[in-house]
Amino acid sequence: MKQEEALRMVNISKYFPGVKALDRVTFTVNQGEVHALVGENGAGKSTLMKILAGALQPDEGEIYLEGEKVFIPTPQSAWERGISIIYQELNLLPDLNVVQNIFLGREHRGRLRVLSYSTMIREAESLLARVGVGIAPQTMVRNLSVAQQQQVEIAKALSLNAKILVMDEPTASLSETEVEKLFGIIRDLKSKGVTIVYISHRLEEVFRIADRVTVLKDGKCIGTYSIGELDRDKLVKLMVGRSFSETFPEKAKETGPMVVEVRNLSVPRILKNVNFSVRAGEIVGFFGLVGSGRTDLAKALFGFYPHYSGEIVVKGKTVKLHSPQRAIAEGVGFAPEDRKSEGLCLGLSVKDNCVMAVLDEMRSTFFLNRRRETGLVQKFVADLRIKTPHFYQRVQNLSGGNQQKVVLAKWLATRPDFLIFDEPTRGIDVGAKQEIYHLMRQLASQGKAILMISSELPEVIGMSDRIYVMHDGAIVREFGWGERVDEERIMYFAAGLHVER
Amino acid sequence: MVTLIQRILRGNPTLFFVYVILFVFFVFAASTAPQFRTVYNISNLLRQAVAFGIVGIGQTIVILSGGIDLSVGSLISLAACLTSGIMIGNPTLVFPIVFLVLGIGVLVGLTNGTLVAYLRVPPFIATLAMSAILQGSVLLYTKKPVGGVTRGFMFFANGQLGAIPFAFVFWVILLSFFLFLLRRTGLGLHVYAIGGNQEIARLSGIRVSVAKVAVYVISGFMAALTGLFLASRLGIGDPLMGQGFELESITAVLIGGTSLAGGKGGIEGTIAGVLIIALINNILNLLGVSGFWQWIIKGIVVIVVVAAYKVKE
Repeated sequence: MKQEEALRMVNISKYFPGVKALDRVTFTVNQGEVHALVGENGAGKSTLMKILAGALQPDEGEIYLEGEKVFIPTPQSAWERGISIIYQELNLLPDLNVVQNIFLGREHRGRLRVLSYSTMIREAESLLARVGVGIAPQTMVRNLSVAQQQQVEIAKALSLNAKILVMDEPTASLSETEVEKLFGIIRDLKSKGVTIVYISHRLEEVFRIADRVTVLKDGKCIGTYSIGELDRDKLVKLMVGRSFSETFPEKAKETGPMVVEVRNLSVPRILKNVNFSVRAGEIVGFFGLVGSGRTDLAKALFGFYPHYSGEIVVKGKTVKLHSPQRAIAEGVGFAPEDRKSEGLCLGLSVKDNCVMAVLDEMRSTFFLNRRRETGLVQKFVADLRIKTPHFYQRVQNLSGGNQQKVVLAKWLATRPDFLIFDEPTRGIDVGAKQEIYHLMRQLASQGKAILMISSELPEVIGMSDRIYVMHDGAIVREFGWGERVDEERIMYFAAGLHVER
Repeated sequence: MVTLIQRILRGNPTLFFVYVILFVFFVFAASTAPQFRTVYNISNLLRQAVAFGIVGIGQTIVILSGGIDLSVGSLISLAACLTSGIMIGNPTLVFPIVFLVLGIGVLVGLTNGTLVAYLRVPPFIATLAMSAILQGSVLLYTKKPVGGVTRGFMFFANGQLGAIPFAFVFWVILLSFFLFLLRRTGLGLHVYAIGGNQEIARLSGIRVSVAKVAVYVISGFMAALTGLFLASRLGIGDPLMGQGFELESITAVLIGGTSLAGGKGGIEGTIAGVLIIALINNILNLLGVSGFWQWIIKGIVVIVVVAAYKVKE
């Protein structure tokens, strides 16, 4: 049976500074199917969908809707063509009610252009009924659960007569029963002829809901398969598996005493019973997909979640990490994922950023001691080979790799025993990556305990002495010293495929 | 009527809270000062409230959109001085002057709005600069109270409809109009949406810049109207009479539960905020408390009320 083609995106390319986010991707969706789009973090799924939604413009390529070539310059023009996208971070206004949100910008007007709420409420009720939920149309969105807000977004999409509905990680923050409900809604929409593009990391969901699957990897389209041709292992293999081009420093030969031990660490709705340890001299890798809680774990260890339960032992002493200040005092350093907003003050100089975490030590009575500051900065600029014309250069003018080194200097200044790196090589070029890898290994061999979070599988495998895999806020697998590990095995657990259906 | 009020209050606990405060202040005033309970005093209080009340409506709408208008104080002074300074007791000039002054208000608002919406000048800075320009202009025009209005024009602020001040009736009409504008028109909804999240508003196809300009135009118009009102009330325009109105109006808006970040609150709360401030002024005057204490007490009330909102969140 030949199905009608709803959408065809041909040879779509998109460049961001320094990265080719999409490389001649072709993506075809049939009328009335549920089409899953899968791939690792950063594979280009969201970029592709933003192009479809008119939020980004492609640098190359063409889009055809029902065989007709179209341009989608704005989100509005996407709606007009029947394309709606429900982003992961929902786009509703919390202080308006459901009706106002559904019809925002397209309100029904009555006489004298006065808003006719009675008509809108009636229509909203029928839309919500089509979605199959009983939400009162005049409820403030603020008072709805995430799942309900998502249902409102679906209703909004229906009000736009969506023919193609894109859902970006719709189940990321839903409970089990809410996921069931969502799947019910999706099947129902499908039976009414709506085409659905379903982006998800959770492969078990893909097998349950999708008719066909397209796999993206590193901005390239690997292929489109009907769900019958695939099994879990095959899909995982398609998603990962690439040629190793990077070389990594040699791994640790021996490790020292236990530096950090975490027992039953839980944060309500974020982390579930996390147990792990890191020894002096080793680099422990954490891998997880978006929403797995890997960054939350790092933040918990750095005092972001004061209401955690469980025990954190640093160098044999149980500590209460209720604030970043406490964490620093206990010898924890944290190089965050988003270096530009969380790691550095971009408008300040290399020197100011380096001394930021140790200002107390730089002070003699009231004033900062310029000589002490300069001494410290000099040492780190030399040790880490930070390339900067002078110490007073604003860090925003440095390259990504050198910025990352400044972050590193900032934390090394606190003389930590335990260093957390969240995505240490994100957005930096290959040469600088190598340098960062060697620095990390060097620090480990100097006796620091290092926890590295990364969503790049080769990096996790190449750098880590041991690997923990996270899924849904919990550690689901540990790969110990010398244990055989490959990308597929890790992805298998990270995608939650070990959980029996 | 009662059920409508119930519905509004149930949907909005903040509003309930601010009206309780108003009620408490009222009971306190009525029980401590016997002079408070006179018809004369109450109508005087309402007149006082109207001055803040008119400019407060405009300020509420600007703040709902995520902006702020600091130019209203000087605009009020300018409007009042032009009114009395040109009129000088000539009845044939009343209507042309009203149009002129309101037109100037609209023009000032248009300028503020253009600066904010199209040139992306932060509202705080655009309107602060505008305030300085207007204050300078009015002081170039006159350095002391100037001219005078006609007896007929004084009816606007001082006239009575039976026991009720005409000005209060006028305010109620204005309130109804702008309540309707905010709750039942596209512009009103868009103001809330822009204040809530400008990007979402833009992506929903709302013409954000147009709405922003409209908001400052409304505020400028209302400030000019307040200037007319004050000239009518005192019979003469003073180049400094609007001083403090920008802050008092913002105070009333905040007490009324509108969020300074925008997108949340409304004129319903500002009404109570305006009445609370008028009550505080009035009762402290009656008790013979110095004006400086009034500042201190108003400052404390703002801090307490806004902190209470934040804690409740």
